[in-house]
Amino acid sequence: MEYLVTFLVILTMNFFLPRLMPGDPFVHLSGEAGEEIAAFTREQREYFTVYYGLDRPLREQYFRYLAGLMRGNLGFSYYYKNDVAAIILGRLPWTLLMVTAATFLSLLLGILLGSFSAWRRDSWQDKVTYLFMVVFSEIPAFLLGSMLLIVFAGGLGLFPLAGAMTHFASYTGWEKIEDVLHHAALPVLTLSLARTGGIYLLVRNTLTTVLGKDYMRTARAKGLREQRIRYRHALRNALLPLVTRVALQLGGMVGGAVLVENVFAYPGLGRLMREAVFVRDYPLLQGIFLVLAFGVLAANLLADLLYRTLDPRTREGETYGKQKAAKTEQKERSHVPA
Amino acid sequence: MFLLKPINKMWRGLTVFGRVGLLILVLLIFMAIAAPYLTWQPHHASSGPSLAPPGGAHLLGTDELGVDLWAQICYGARVSLIVGLGTALLAGLGGGIVGTFAGYRGGWSERALMRLIDIMIVMPDLPVMVVLAAFFGSSLRNIILVLALFSWSYPARIVRAQVLALKEQAYVKIARSYGAGALYIIFRHLLPELLPILAVSMIRLAGMAIVTEASLAFLGLGDPTSRSWGLIINHALNFRGIYFTPYWKWWLLYPWVFLTLLVSSLALLGRDLERIADPRVAKG
Repeated sequence: MEYLVTFLVILTMNFFLPRLMPGDPFVHLSGEAGEEIAAFTREQREYFTVYYGLDRPLREQYFRYLAGLMRGNLGFSYYYKNDVAAIILGRLPWTLLMVTAATFLSLLLGILLGSFSAWRRDSWQDKVTYLFMVVFSEIPAFLLGSMLLIVFAGGLGLFPLAGAMTHFASYTGWEKIEDVLHHAALPVLTLSLARTGGIYLLVRNTLTTVLGKDYMRTARAKGLREQRIRYRHALRNALLPLVTRVALQLGGMVGGAVLVENVFAYPGLGRLMREAVFVRDYPLLQGIFLVLAFGVLAANLLADLLYRTLDPRTREGETYGKQKAAKTEQKERSHVPA
Repeated sequence: MFLLKPINKMWRGLTVFGRVGLLILVLLIFMAIAAPYLTWQPHHASSGPSLAPPGGAHLLGTDELGVDLWAQICYGARVSLIVGLGTALLAGLGGGIVGTFAGYRGGWSERALMRLIDIMIVMPDLPVMVVLAAFFGSSLRNIILVLALFSWSYPARIVRAQVLALKEQAYVKIARSYGAGALYIIFRHLLPELLPILAVSMIRLAGMAIVTEASLAFLGLGDPTSRSWGLIINHALNFRGIYFTPYWKWWLLYPWVFLTLLVSSLALLGRDLERIADPRVAKG
């Protein structure tokens, strides 16, 4: 429900933005900003105003816009002279590949390092890792990316500089997969590194809390092996908050992907977004934004549902408020800017 | 010199990380303020051969138009700091007011505001800002406004939580039973408790704003009339084949180093102050 409202807010914003802009769409179509070129006669203007439905009341325009979206009509790109939905569909897989891969990699890294730190809390190893992760989580992804690019691709020549696959090469089967992975390695690594910090801090904190719980002492008293205590008793309980965390972080992850794709000239939606900004292709820009926002919201909804099935405490209906409280508390503690 | 005492007290409370962060921050602020005295080349006009390596008349070399990099970085510090400060003040003030109002009033207005905050949290900030900056034009003022518009929810949430806790304190309840007005209680009793956490969250906001401004500039949405560090990096990265040339060693590296320094010093200081202002946050 919350997500539906959010999405409606985004849609409404998207609808009103071009209409709030100063100027007239026909002036915009016909010339550079400011100068009015007499490319349209009075009759033509009236014809197009009626054709695009701009003479209708705003409310009707709004519902027409919503109805169009339901049918997957995102508008028409001025620059590429193609349907926005079609352009986006072509680029979407690359962004999806990057975001999913980076999510899993950063989870893995964050859990490993976080539990490493928590088990050695306050030792020098913990402190060094902590400093390193705090600094890393603050460096914006595109700076990290440009450094990796210089060192590993420019300097050492280990990875390709740009793109998602070798052009004009006719690889088949396994070779093709290898080529794609080779190109994706640096972007994914950058994005994961930039996002690991938040997960690391969360794992470190929750694990420290769990380690102080009574059932840990019980487990030790039972004489269980250290391995079993660590992984079955401690880590398993500390991982639950991560579900919500990953979903919340996804907005930042998508923002990071937009930046990283531009550093590595990776042909995903972020790259497309910059191109759209560059040529001021507003319908395309809005289309990309809608798709990204929709993806993030859908993932959040999914995480909520997943959390409810995973955590036995929230399975009974009336404890919903409790889960909500836990979620907001967690948000407060773990704010990491995009 | 009434300021000396609290500053001294704060300094003692900081860890090594926080102290280093504070020192770097002070140095960078000094650099921004004293930019005209620290530089001897114009920052917006060519003053030598293009792409000259560091050394000689150009401390950090020049870019592709022959503009001195050290001068650009000094003046760019102003832009970054203005963006950070402006956003933090606007968002901190706005968020503080909203948070206090929501926490103190309660009822449906609180619920509505909290729902709005929830909406702001799930929204992917960067794409939203790209769209807004593209539509409204990317002047420095607009960038600060857009940034503030999307970051007030963080201080608002913290302030509200604190107000809710303070409202239950005995002294506030007693003051109210004596007939103190809402404004009196807020200014007299709540504000002194709220200011430290608000200040800390503003430091974090500033860091976030600086990063986001640099990111927007990198995407080509910076204010072309004010050269921020992000814009310098954007120009350097747009230079064809910069990775194969030695130019990145100064053109890209130095703005990179300064931006990283600024952002991480803000983060380290912010985390330290957070621990001092609110011990609960540091643990959890």
